[in-house]
Order: sequence, then C-alpha cells, then structure tokens
Amino acid sequence: MKILVCISCVPDTTSKITIDPSTSQISSQGLTFIVGPYDDYALSRAIELKESNGAEVIVLHVGGAESEALIRKCLALGADSAVRIDGNPTTSAQIASSIVSFVNQNPMDLILMGKESIDYNSGIVHGLVAGALGYSHFNPVMHLDLADDGLKLEVEMDGGKMDVSCPLPAVLGCQEPIAEWKIPSMRGIMTARTKEITVLPFDTTSQIQILKADIAETARKNKMIKAEDAEQLIDLLRTETNVL
Amino acid sequence: MKKVAIIAQTKEGQLSDASKSLISFVSSFSPESILLLAIGDVNFSTVSASKSIDVIQLSEGLWIDSASIQPLTQAVDGYSVFGIKSIQVDNLLSLLAASSSQEMISGIQQMSYSGGKFLITKSIFSGKASLSLTSETAAYFSLNRNFDFSANSVYGEQSINSVSTLTSAAGSKASILALKPITGSIPLPDAALVVGAGRGLKDPGNWTIVEDLAKALGAATACSKPVSDLNWRPHHEHVGQTGVKISPNLYIACGISGAIQHLAGVNGSRIVVVINNDPEAPFFKHADYGIVGDVNDILPRLTKKLQTH
Ligand SMILES: Cc1cc2nc3c(=O)[nH]c(=O)nc-3n(C[C@H](O)[C@H](O)[C@H](O)COP(=O)(O)OP(=O)(O)OC[C@H]3O[C@@H](n4cnc5c(N)ncnc54)[C@H](O)[C@@H]3O)c2cc1C
Ligand SMILES: Nc1ncnc2c1ncn2[C@@H]1O[C@H](COP(=O)(O)O)[C@@H](O)[C@H]1O
Repeated sequence: MKILVCISCVPDTTSKITIDPSTSQISSQGLTFIVGPYDDYALSRAIELKESNGAEVIVLHVGGAESEALIRKCLALGADSAVRIDGNPTTSAQIASSIVSFVNQNPMDLILMGKESIDYNSGIVHGLVAGALGYSHFNPVMHLDLADDGLKLEVEMDGGKMDVSCPLPAVLGCQEPIAEWKIPSMRGIMTARTKEITVLPFDTTSQIQILKADIAETARKNKMIKAEDAEQLIDLLRTETNVL
Repeated sequence: MKKVAIIAQTKEGQLSDASKSLISFVSSFSPESILLLAIGDVNFSTVSASKSIDVIQLSEGLWIDSASIQPLTQAVDGYSVFGIKSIQVDNLLSLLAASSSQEMISGIQQMSYSGGKFLITKSIFSGKASLSLTSETAAYFSLNRNFDFSANSVYGEQSINSVSTLTSAAGSKASILALKPITGSIPLPDAALVVGAGRGLKDPGNWTIVEDLAKALGAATACSKPVSDLNWRPHHEHVGQTGVKISPNLYIACGISGAIQHLAGVNGSRIVVVINNDPEAPFFKHADYGIVGDVNDILPRLTKKLQTH
C-alpha cells in the first residue's frame, strides 16, 4: 500500500505574528516553524500502519527549501521518502493542484492530510484534492483501521460521529485521537540523512489575488470584578453587553 | 451578478437563522437567480430574499467523492455557491469546487461584491490575523459562523418556486456502518453561550458546578485539551487549536490558564469571562470580565443568582 502524507510547515502557535510593512504580508522574521499539528497526527498514523501492516509512506510538501529540516524530521519519524514541490503557494487551489499533478504521475492508495493547516485554517485542501482526483473523501477522521475491502473509519460529523466503510483510493483529513504524536529516534535521525527528498517544479497559478494581511485587534474590556461581588457579572452580561 | 446557490441547513423542516441571514445577504448582490440547496427536510414555503427561490433538497447520503456528487455538480454548474462553515458544508463545497475546476475561499469574515469583483477578508492564524483578497472568478465561498450579516438589508417575503429532491449517485462504495449523534446536550459549534472548564476543576466529579451553571444559562459545556486527554470529559468538548473552534456570544472560562493553543479556539467569542484563582493567569489579558476566585465558590454563586433573579 502506498500512503502519501501531505504536510504544511507552519509557524509554531506560540509565535507572535507580525506584518512586514514593506510587503503588507505576514513577516517570517523570528518565526519558528513546525509541521502542522494535524498533519503530524496524519503522519503518525501512516507510520503506525507501515509498522503494523507494511506500507510505503511518502511525505509531500508544497513550499520552499527552508522547509527541508521539517521534511527531514518526517523522514526520521519513519517516512520512506519525501517530495517537495518547490514554490510559494498563496492559495489552497495552488497547493491542491500541485498535489493532484504529483498523484496523477504517482498513483496512491491513501492520501492523508491534517483536517486543517493552522496558518490558513482553510480546511479544504483534502476536499479539493479528492474532488479533482475522484477519490473518496472523509474529514475529520478520528480513527482509521485497515479492513478487507478498504478502510474502517470513525469520522466526526456535525452533531456527532459516524463509523464508515471507505473504499480505496481515498483522501482523508485527520484529527486526534487518530494517533499519538511521535518523537524521532536516534536511529531514525541517522537513517533519515540518506533518504531522498525529490524536488519538483511548482507550476500553477491562481486567480485569487492577495492584497494584504492585517493583525486582528483584540479589543477586550479587561474589567475585573471582585470575588465578593461575583454576582455583578450576571447584571453586566445582561445590561452592559446584552449577551444574556 | 450571475446565478447564486446557497447551501442551507434546515431543522425540523425550517431554515436555521444563519441560513436565513445568508439568503438575504446573497440577495444584496442582486443575482439573476437564487438556488437553495437544503440539507435536511424542507417544510417552508416563503423566504426573505430579493427574488423567488428554487429549492433542491439533498437527500441523506454520502456526498463524498466526485462520483457521488455528480448530480449536484451538474445542478450548480454556472452558479456561485455560498455556505456557512460546518464540517459537512466545507467538505461538500470543496469537493464541488474541485469537481467543477473552480476556486474556493473558506474562513470568510467579511465580503462585498462590486464591479464584478469580490473583496474578501479571510481570517487566518485562528483569528489572530486576516488576509484581504480579491477575485473575479472564485465561485465557492464558506463564511465563518460569526460572519457579521447585520449590515445587509433584508428583502421582502418571496415564495418558493419549486422544490425538487436530489440523491447522491451510486458509484461510491463507501457506506455508513453506524451513526452516533451526540444527544441530550447543546452542540458546541452552534452554541450561543458556552461554559468551558479546565484542569483547575481538579477532578471530573467536580463538573457538576460547571454543568449547573451551563444549565442555568442554557449554555453548552466545553473543556481544555488536558481535560479531554485525561478522559475527564469527552473529546468532542475540547476546544482550541487542535479541538473545536467556537464563536459564541459568551464564553465563560473556569479554571483554564489561557494557553495560546486554547485561545486559538475561543478567540472568536464575542464576550469572554475568565474565572481563575491565580491573578497572574494569562487568560485575564484576553478577558472582557475577569474574576480572581475559586471556581468552587464563584460558579455556584453565579448559578444561584441566575436561578433567583
Ligand atoms: C501542539 C499543541 C496543541 C494544543 N492544543 C490545545 C487545544 O486545542 N486546546 C487546549 O485547551 N489546549 C491545547 N494545548 C495545551 C495547552 O498548551 C495547555 O497545556 C492547556 O490549554 C492547559 O489546560 P488548562 O488551562 O485546563 O490547565 P492548566 O494550564 O493546568 O491551568 C489550570 C488553571 O486553573 C487554575 N485553577 C486551579 N485551581 C483553581 C480553582 N480552584 N479555581 C479557579 N481556578 C483554578 C490555575 O490557576 C490554572 O490557571 C495544546 C498544546 C500543544 C503543544
Ligand atoms: N503547503 C502544503 N503542502 C502540502 N500539504 C499541505 C500544504 N498546506 C496544507 N496542506 C495539507 O492540507 C491540509 C489542509 O490544509 P488547509 O486547507 O490549508 O487548512 C493540511 O492539514 C495539510 O495536510
């Protein structure tokens, strides 16, 4: 079985996001990047499947060379090889079509992604890829097991969960508790050094034009109420803010 | 503007309030025609819109790949399609967009249309920042749940032109083995009021004070990640970067420190109340109202006040 895991490389959530005034875009100054936390779950489950049932795990990232250290970390966790589509995507469509052209050349049984990237929070790349390839699509998947005729999944839905039987090939968006995050072993780190990262050209355009980024202002009231007057809170919620 | 379709949720045959707002919002673009794709039963005969509406009721089923959504892809050919963020709506919109080779924008916070162009503000980094973008051609749009519809005028009552039903095409071998709806509580993503609690509650047995307050308010309950990791509360209550993102009118955080990963899920709340016995808890910086106190003292007093006045 061939499993493709698509990873985003995103600023660590504790990063302070700032705007570069010369470009009006998010500044990359001082940011620490991590593999998207949901993507990390997807990768961890792929590695578990490889260990339990045997599978070839390929990691794919659409982005610049600065992400190679994170891709290397995925190889250290146990992925067999990696592909980087060398570009600077600005829209979900560009990421999706890059993934789709790779898969058209290299058919996969299973494509695992995170349910969303924590920078753009779009939650749609997996759906776009599934729609373009015609593969089955489920998102967000909380449990994934192999079955005789494909996969058995537990999927969150609006207002609950469902168990489904899903044929292959499929594209899935993953979320916890699908797997436990893993830490690379010393041996993994050593063997990752010789694993291959194939770099492919990025060749897609988008009709969506990004104008600028802004930092959201958080105008909270910051009013403190003394513990002995706690009941006042209810009055304030009723009269000052009308939320009750 | 050309033809506009809306994915709308219905409950007991009636349109949700958000769906009604969405219909009058897209009406303000003066489209040539409006098509309503209803998830759930349709039991209404009028809508508030700029012109009468055709309704397609999507039957229950797995709309999960380009084979099964084929009938819908054809039905919305040439339309701009709008929905309000939910798991099902985003999954469906993204599959439809790709199947019809159109671009999609999700996480929309503000949106206007003029001179043949959409001007859109999309929230990014869990609400910490936003992107302004423009497109003449993008055709699939998912609006955030806390999208502000208030600026858009409501049009007169219009009657429904026609109602038809669409079934997802066979051809996909996927099947549902079991449905496990959450019963008996208010679904967190829809809730207007939410009471969240964290490790400061110390023990799952102490959750009665949280549940009592939630009940007195008519609120849903939520929790921090360590609490669901410890199995004190079910996973679907966990809010934050790796959990549910909520945008209620009121979020009351009890015994939660306010880690950035937790804030990422609750930033969209209109009013935030923080109750914590540590005056240095980082959450207070992100609160509208803060009370430094013990949850075991404060929560029952708030519940009592709600019950008696
Ligand atoms: C990649 C990643 C993703 C994560 N995703 C999430 C996420 O989605 N959601 C999430 O919540 N966390 C997430 N976390 C964890 C997050 O960093 C924090 O560890 C977590 O939010 C802390 O939970 P807490 O506030 O309940 O517990 P604590 O940090 O232990 O805080 C407990 C608070 O209760 C207060 N307290 C104690 N006793 C009382 C009392 N009697 N009365 C009143 N107050 C009291 C304390 O002062 C303290 O502030 C994530 C972490 C990582 C690394
Ligand atoms: N640049 C990228 N390269 C490869 N995969 C990506 C990239 N960006 C996002 N993804 C995948 O798509 C998922 C959903 O992303 P999004 O639609 O941006 O929220 C992520 O969790 C990743 O698995």
